[in-house]
Amino acid sequence: MERVVLKMTEEDTVEPVEFQAPQVNTPVGKPIPAQPVSLLILAGRWLSLHRAELRTFAIGAVSLCLFLLSWHLLTKYRVNVHVRFVNVPSPSLVFESFTKAMHDIKFFHHVTLSCRRILIGFSIAAVIAVPLGLIMGRFRFARDVIFPVSEIMRPIPAIAWVPMSIMLWPSNEESIVFITFLGSFFPILLNTLHGMATVDPVLVRASQCLGAKEFSIFREVYFPAALPNIFTGLTVGMGVAWVSLIAAEMISGQFGIGYFTWEAYSLVQYPDIALGMISIGVLGLASSATIRGLGRLIMPWSRG
Amino acid sequence: MSEVTTIGGKGKIEVTNFDLSYETLDGPVEAVSDASICVNPGEFVSVIGPSGCGKSTMLNAVAGFLKPTRGRVTVDGEVVSGPSADRGMVFQQYSLFPWKTVRENVEFGLKMKGIDSYTRQNAARTLLNLTGLLQFENQYPERLSGGMKQRVGIVRALATGPKVLLLDEPFGSLDAQTRIIMQQILTNMWQHLKISVLFVTHDIDEAIFLSDRVYCMTARPGTIKAEIAIPLDRPRQQSMMMSSEFLNLRSGLMSLIREESLKAMGGEVNEAALQGLNINLNGQSLSDVI
Repeated sequence: MERVVLKMTEEDTVEPVEFQAPQVNTPVGKPIPAQPVSLLILAGRWLSLHRAELRTFAIGAVSLCLFLLSWHLLTKYRVNVHVRFVNVPSPSLVFESFTKAMHDIKFFHHVTLSCRRILIGFSIAAVIAVPLGLIMGRFRFARDVIFPVSEIMRPIPAIAWVPMSIMLWPSNEESIVFITFLGSFFPILLNTLHGMATVDPVLVRASQCLGAKEFSIFREVYFPAALPNIFTGLTVGMGVAWVSLIAAEMISGQFGIGYFTWEAYSLVQYPDIALGMISIGVLGLASSATIRGLGRLIMPWSRG
Repeated sequence: MSEVTTIGGKGKIEVTNFDLSYETLDGPVEAVSDASICVNPGEFVSVIGPSGCGKSTMLNAVAGFLKPTRGRVTVDGEVVSGPSADRGMVFQQYSLFPWKTVRENVEFGLKMKGIDSYTRQNAARTLLNLTGLLQFENQYPERLSGGMKQRVGIVRALATGPKVLLLDEPFGSLDAQTRIIMQQILTNMWQHLKISVLFVTHDIDEAIFLSDRVYCMTARPGTIKAEIAIPLDRPRQQSMMMSSEFLNLRSGLMSLIREESLKAMGGEVNEAALQGLNINLNGQSLSDVI
């Protein structure tokens, strides 16, 4: 190694600097002081700021109305062009059946029972699949042991589990919950695992340099880093849970909104078929929205 | 604020006969070969070299992320066996935790030490105030500019009161103006804290402006080619970058590095090729030839 000394040629006098950071570019601008404005101007500003959203809303409303109108027309004229609308109930009949159901304690019984099955099956799936995915993502050995089994089980649709499930569980209720559990288990597990794979290794290093040990790294880095993917898994899992539940209820249930829909067909209560279908749609939508809302609450840093 | 002040005389980094190679299908590849450097307590030392010369590899070994194939890495005489809060590190990619607010990021190291939340919060706020970031304490890092993110990164690394600070091209992804301001902030902080700093960069001006000494590395496999003392006065200021001693140092280092950068780029680039458009076109214009 050669030692190079480069000489100074001139003395420069420098003033000592105080330890004070200059203000660098700030992205968050200061708000302009509020001036009294009339309500009309305020409304105008709000409108121009939310123009795109309002447009989307208006188009959505028109689209829904058109859907209802075509449904109405197709059933009113009993259209029969290969696809037969002869027995399909009209929107007004479905609405009638809806108002009747609102005064019927049995309908609520079906709905609450389905919701209870979802809640139990989905919760158990989340409680098992999330930690399992985290452990599989962190420890290669755990992954190597569990992954092959889960890959074989995963493509089996929950509905194919119905006969096996009836054999496995002593009561009908348990077997339906089990099928709901299976439906949501794999999406949650796989997304958690994927979330673990995408954790930035530099963040793990940064935490180690700040004194974090294994458990702290898990809690402070891996878990929050995987959370967005975990919530994707929960949302998908919730969707599949409803699919599985309805299938199970149609085949082996005595109660539940899936059973209600199938029973309506058997009893020639055609408007109730549509009512059951729409209820399932609304319940599925509401539960997915709940998960998304929960996600936003827990992850304030991701605005997505 | 006892967590932040470091005691003088601590933080001596010694890297002796450092070799690092890794296995590939084509046999072992040597990244760093027989490199020795040292950072005295309270000294600011830079390692400079062409990209891929293994300067970051060496820094990662000091941080405890890599074990040398041969040789020793010690801090205050103790062999480095893994990452620890004694050796604070600042990364080029900022590496702030996106799920923590600015203040929570700064508090992280203290939290790992088991310090209660009230003390933590006070320490973090004091440090953020010193760097002009207090008003952003409750923001998530995503909302900050690159320069602000890296200030948080430096403050976070200093909050635990480490013996040494390791910086891996920390200003590499900042624009030129912000980089100069950040360099100034860093030297100011360093002068107040009297902490040993090992700084890796490929920017010659940056290395001279910040350091007491600069190690210059060769192309892969990296070895130490030269050690240059920087006898510029402290505190350093931007105006010094125009002074003749700065420019002298700069041209000296430049020629050392240039040689190695050309080697690092392989056989396809030579001095003749760098002459660029002095191509003999036999009196024709370039468009005629093409």
